[in-house]
Amino acid sequence: MAAPCSRMASRPIWQFITNVRRTGLKHTGVRQISLGSACRAATQTRSKTESVASPWKLYGAVCLQRLPVISQERNPIEDQFAELMHQMELERSLLSDHEQRLLEDSERMTRKQADNYDSDEEEADYGGQETITAQDQEDTWEQKLKHFQPALRDRDVGGTPLGSVERCLGDSLVLLVQQTVGKETIWLLPQAQWEAGETLRQTAERGLSSLPEADFKATFLGNTPCGVYRYTFPKEVRTERCVGAKVFFFKAFLSAGSASQKEPFLWVKKTELQGYLKPAYLEKVDRFILNL
Amino acid sequence: MNPVIRKASFALHSRVLDQVGLLFRASVSVQHPIQGSLAFSNERQYRTMPTHGIGKYKHLLPKEAPKKKKERQQMKQIKTATDAEYGTLNVKVSGYDMILVEHYSQYIHNLCNRLGVKVAESYALPTKSTEVMVMPEQGTKMYVDAILKTHERIVQLSQLNATLCPTFMEVLLKNQPEGIQLSVKLHTEADYQARFKARPELEGLMAQMT
Repeated sequence: MAAPCSRMASRPIWQFITNVRRTGLKHTGVRQISLGSACRAATQTRSKTESVASPWKLYGAVCLQRLPVISQERNPIEDQFAELMHQMELERSLLSDHEQRLLEDSERMTRKQADNYDSDEEEADYGGQETITAQDQEDTWEQKLKHFQPALRDRDVGGTPLGSVERCLGDSLVLLVQQTVGKETIWLLPQAQWEAGETLRQTAERGLSSLPEADFKATFLGNTPCGVYRYTFPKEVRTERCVGAKVFFFKAFLSAGSASQKEPFLWVKKTELQGYLKPAYLEKVDRFILNL
Repeated sequence: MNPVIRKASFALHSRVLDQVGLLFRASVSVQHPIQGSLAFSNERQYRTMPTHGIGKYKHLLPKEAPKKKKERQQMKQIKTATDAEYGTLNVKVSGYDMILVEHYSQYIHNLCNRLGVKVAESYALPTKSTEVMVMPEQGTKMYVDAILKTHERIVQLSQLNATLCPTFMEVLLKNQPEGIQLSVKLHTEADYQARFKARPELEGLMAQMT
């Protein structure tokens, strides 16, 4: 989506002078596959000078992502390689200060045990006995390590529901909500309809904040949308004014959030999106969600 | 000239009188080095001689620029932001684990190279040591529990495209390792000056002068 984005960057305030009539009810949105190239939404705004209402309804949607918390698991090959590299580095490395101290202390102990031990000579060299040897320190550290309980890496063992934010900690998750569009209740990215006088990014923010019983604090990435989905309404709903709808997606990252564990929310990985989204919608959404 | 002519004539005769020619050639060649070296080291051949300037080679080498004395380090120009691009940005990577910090900063540098973002500089700030002191429940004396070292690496980007920025930031955030803090800030002159050590003697002398 390089071309439309670059145009939008030059005009951060996306002024729609065309009037889009807002009705109380949302139109039925049986999504039909829009044949044709990726939506050039900019072509609509070129008709600024003619004050003809655009026949497309505009929505702003937000793709809220929860960043991965921990690093991903390693492949078997990666595991083997990591072990090999670790072993090689260990063999090539020199002794650290602590390890040298350990060696010196153990040598001193063996010399003490020997018959011809001359304590005066030793003390002259080392300037008195040290109270804490390196071995003692290691023992105290090991004791502390035993008390430390690391958190479980994989919390899915307990069977956390799909709506939990703490699902797969190694992957990035996308928020899906269930909304009624027209007659159907479908899973989609949270969206809101555009009103005159606000930027599309504000529409997306409004869509996020208007989610019921949810309190997500998100940081948006830039003013430009990352994707567009255009669909036409079925023939019976189509009027002269409203031919279809266009949904603009904005990316955001979750900074702090809490949601009651109710059904309408889902946090899914990119691979699981297929089970919830419609195919045409999924095709457009897939393009901008990075699977890193 | 003479030894040359002599050698040529002997070469002709060698077909007829092989052994004699060999002997003579040997004797000539023994004398040759002494005479030749004397001739070439004490006299330069005159300009009309065909061998004039026979040993010259400097004119064949490519011209070298004269060596400049190293100038004092000047600060690079801090670029300002235009409509389409950001100015000079400092991406600071900091953490306790040096391996992770270095690998992540290298990853950022390589990513910028691949995406075509110009990297102005890539340097490290001095390591800061933090002592963790623990006070036991009985007693007042605190003792040192551990020393934590914070490592910092900075990658300075000069022309980051505003359209590329969201994708760039997303890739960076998704690949951030655990325990590493990432911060992106504008580069200022104060940041540049902070890298240098203070010179107390110089400052004392300057104060005395004024």
